[in-house]
Amino acid sequence: NIDPESLLPKLPSPDELRPFPTTCATLFRGHEGKVRSVSVDATGTLLASGGDDGTVRIWDILTGRNVWTKKLSSEEAVDVVRWRPSTDTCILSAAAGETIFFIIPQGVHTVNPEIEIASRAILDAGFGYEAQRAASNSEPRKEPAATWSRPLSKLVDNGIMLTITVRAPVKVISWHRRGDYFATVSPKGQSHAVAIHTLSKHLTQLPFRKLKGLPQTAQFHPSKPIFFVATQRSVRSYDLAKQELVKILKPGARWISSIDIHAGGDNVIIGSYDRRLLWHDLDLSVRPYKTLRYHDKAIRAVKYHHGGFPLFADASDDGTVQIFHGKVVDDLMENATIVPLKVLKGHAVKGALGVLDLDWHPKHPCSLSENSSVHKHYAP
Amino acid sequence: MDKTAQIRIQLESRDPDVTIKLPENTGPILVSTGLRRIALSTLVNNLLENEKPIPFEFLINGQFLRTTIDEFLTANGISSEVTLSVEYVRALIPPSHVVSFEHEDWISAVDVVSQTSSVLLQDQDGTSSPIKDPRILSASYDGLIRMWSKSSDLLAVSKPTSGQPINAACFLTTSKIVSAGSDRVVRVWKYEENGVTGGSMQVSGTFTPILDLYGHRSSVDSISVHAPSSRILSGSSDHTVGLWSTRKSEGPQPPDSLLPSALPGAAKRRKLEQSAAFQPGPQRGPLSLLKRHTGPVSGAIFSAKDSTVGYSTSWDQTLVTWDLVTGAEVSTRRLLNPLLCVTEMPDLGLLATGTSARHIAMIDPRVDVRDVTGLTLRGHAGAIVSAAAEPEKPWGLVSASHDGTCRIWDLRSVRMDGKSASGLAVGGTGQVCESVYVIRRESIANDERKVAGDGIKVFSVFWDKEVGIGSAGEDKRVQIDQMVPR
Ligand SMILES: [Mg+2]
Repeated sequence: NIDPESLLPKLPSPDELRPFPTTCATLFRGHEGKVRSVSVDATGTLLASGGDDGTVRIWDILTGRNVWTKKLSSEEAVDVVRWRPSTDTCILSAAAGETIFFIIPQGVHTVNPEIEIASRAILDAGFGYEAQRAASNSEPRKEPAATWSRPLSKLVDNGIMLTITVRAPVKVISWHRRGDYFATVSPKGQSHAVAIHTLSKHLTQLPFRKLKGLPQTAQFHPSKPIFFVATQRSVRSYDLAKQELVKILKPGARWISSIDIHAGGDNVIIGSYDRRLLWHDLDLSVRPYKTLRYHDKAIRAVKYHHGGFPLFADASDDGTVQIFHGKVVDDLMENATIVPLKVLKGHAVKGALGVLDLDWHPKHPCSLSENSSVHKHYAP
Repeated sequence: MDKTAQIRIQLESRDPDVTIKLPENTGPILVSTGLRRIALSTLVNNLLENEKPIPFEFLINGQFLRTTIDEFLTANGISSEVTLSVEYVRALIPPSHVVSFEHEDWISAVDVVSQTSSVLLQDQDGTSSPIKDPRILSASYDGLIRMWSKSSDLLAVSKPTSGQPINAACFLTTSKIVSAGSDRVVRVWKYEENGVTGGSMQVSGTFTPILDLYGHRSSVDSISVHAPSSRILSGSSDHTVGLWSTRKSEGPQPPDSLLPSALPGAAKRRKLEQSAAFQPGPQRGPLSLLKRHTGPVSGAIFSAKDSTVGYSTSWDQTLVTWDLVTGAEVSTRRLLNPLLCVTEMPDLGLLATGTSARHIAMIDPRVDVRDVTGLTLRGHAGAIVSAAAEPEKPWGLVSASHDGTCRIWDLRSVRMDGKSASGLAVGGTGQVCESVYVIRRESIANDERKVAGDGIKVFSVFWDKEVGIGSAGEDKRVQIDQMVPR
C-alpha cells in the first residue's frame, strides 16, 4: 500500500530556500503619476526610474533619496529606463515617445571625472565614425532607420549627451552584455519595430522586417550571439552570426508581455497579459516546461536574479510581485526546480494598472518594483 | 502556590563601580519565591547599607526579572532546589526627549563633543582647545555641515561646495572636523568660535577647509578618526577603505585624474561656477586605499585599544580586520547579510555590526574567523545603519535604523534562541538580546507606524555621557534624548 503522494518528488519548503525578499525596506517617493520602468545600475547603489510625468529619476538604493531628476518630455511618458551594463562608465538610456536619450547623470556619486570622461568617449565615438562614413560614401543615402544626434547645449549641460529618434514610440530597451549593442522595440513600428543599434558606430539596423505578429519585447542571449524576439504569441530565437532562425517557442499564451533569459542561457521565463507565467527549458521542447497561474490580473514583467541567487519574480496588475525559487542545474538529466516563495503585496492598483516593472539588485536577493508614484525595495 | 516557598539566591554584580559591590562573604541567601524586583532591590540596598537607596534590576539567566521569582522559575522550568545565580544591575532609566534641532534637509550624520567625550585628546598639532559647552555637529543632504549648541542654537554653517550630500562628519578635535560625501572628497575643516558664552552676545563659529583629500572613486559613506596619530579611515562605495593623514605635510600628491580639474572645458567650468563662493583647501591623496571588499564599504573604524588595527564592514557581507601599518588584511569574517555599520564595544572586546536583515550581529574579532558569533540583537524592523556604545558602561549600545527608531540594548540581558541559531550564524550558539528601550521620532505621533520607516528613517546616532543620545535622519531633525533619573 503505497501513498501516491510519496512518489512525487518532494519540493523544498520556502524556509529552506532563504534568502529571498520578504519585507518592504524602502519607498522611493517623488514621481507624479505612474512609474513605468525601473533599473538598478551595475554598482548596485543606484536605481533609475521613468514615469508618466515625463521625468527620469535616479535614487540612492539604500536610503531612497532622489539624487538626480530630469524632465525629458512634457507630453510623453518615460516608458523605459535601462542602465548600460558596465562599471567603467555611468550611462543611463531612457525612452520617451520615439526618442532614446543617453544620459551621464552628473552629480551622482558614481560619476567621478574618470567615469565622466570614459562615458563621454563611449557616447561620442560614433560621431567620428558617422562623419568618416559620410565622407567616404558619395552614394545618395537611403532614409536612415534612425537619427542619431547631439542634443541642444542646454540638454548637454544636463548630461543628456546623445539622442536617437526612431519611427514609432519605444517601449523596450535591451542591452547586450558588452554595452555596445542594444535593441529597441516599438510595437507599432511595423517593419521598423525591432531595431538593433551599435553605439560605437551610431548605427541602426532592422534585421527583422517581416515578423509574424506584433512584436512585444526582445533580448540578447547572455553569452552567445543569439537574439530573442517575442511577438504576441511566440518567442523566436535567431543566430545573429549566421543570420538564421534557431527556434520558435510556443508558450500557449494569448498575449506575451515580457521575457527574460536565464544566465545559463538554456531557460526562459515568459509573462503574459492573460495572467500566465511560463517557464521554458530550451533543451526540452518548444512548449512550456511549467505553467504558473498565480495572478488575478495581467503579468507585466518577469525577471531572473542575474547575480547568483536562484530566484525569479513577476509583477502583475493585481498589485503584487511574486517571488519564486528557480534552480537550474547543469545536469541535462535534471530539470529546474520551481517553488513559489512569497507574494509581495502593498502596491496600490490605480486605473487597472498594478505593478508595471521590476528589477533585482545585481548582487543581493533584493527586488525593486514600482507602480504608482512610489516604488519599493524589498529586502530578505 | 506555596506562599512560604523559599529559594537560595547568590547575588552577583559585574559592574566595575565599587560602591555597589557586596562584601565577599555574603554567600547564598534564602529568600521567599514570592519576591519581586522591588523587594529584591530593597534587600540589596540593605546589604550595601545604603542610606539613599539605588534602584536595582535583576538578571537571571540573562533575563530581567519582571514577575515574582516563583513565576519566573515556572516560566523557565527552573527548579527551586538549586541555588539561583542572580545578577543585580542599576535600574535602567528610560530615555526622554530633550530637544530637537530642525534642518532644511535630511541629516546623514551627527557627532558630539563635550567635557566627557573622547575627542578631547589633542592631535599632533595641539590645536585642540578646552571645551566649555558641548557642541553638536550635523551633516546634511543639502551638502552643508552645521554646528549647534546643546540648547539648539545654530552656531555655524559651512559654505556650499559641490552641492552633493555630505554622508559622514565627525570631530577630529574640538577645533577640527572631518566630513565626506557623495562628491568623493574627504575634507578636513578648522572650526573656530567667536563671541562670549553665557553673556548676551551670540556665539558664532566658522568652518574653514584646510585639506581636501582625493582618492575615492565613488561616494564616501563613513568616516572615523584617531587624533593622536592624525589618521582618518574612510569607507567608500568604491569598495575600498581609505587611510589618510590629517596633516598636509604627510599627505601624498592627489591622483590627477580624480580632481575636478581633470574634466574637459565646459564640464570643468560648470563645476567651478557651482562652488564659486567656496575656497577649497590644499589637495592631497590617500596614504593607502585598502582593497579586499567586493561591495560598498559601509563602515571603517580604528580599534579602540590599538589604533594600528582597523575594522571595516561591507555590503559584501564581510567584516575585515586590517593591519593599518602594512595595509594588509588580517582576517575576513563572512556573515549572511549585507553589513551596514560597525561599532566597537571595547570593554567587551566585541564589534557590533548592523545588517540589512534588521538585526545587529555581535562579533568577537579575537576568535577564529570560522567561529562567527551567534549573538544577535533583534527587534528593529528595518536596516540598521549606525550604532554607538554607551559611554563608560561596557554593556550599553544604541542603534539607529531605517525603521524610524533607535533602540537601546543591554548586553547582559542575553538568552538562548534555537531559531536564530540556524537563521544567522555559521556554527554560532544562537544567543539573542532584545532591546530594553525604543526611542521613536519626536517629529511624529508616538503610535504612528510607517511602512519601511517612510519619512522617518534614522541615519546616525551618538551616545554622550553629558549630552545624551543624539539621533538624526530623514525627518530633518537632530533629536536629543536623555536618561534622567526620576
Ligand atoms: Mg536543462
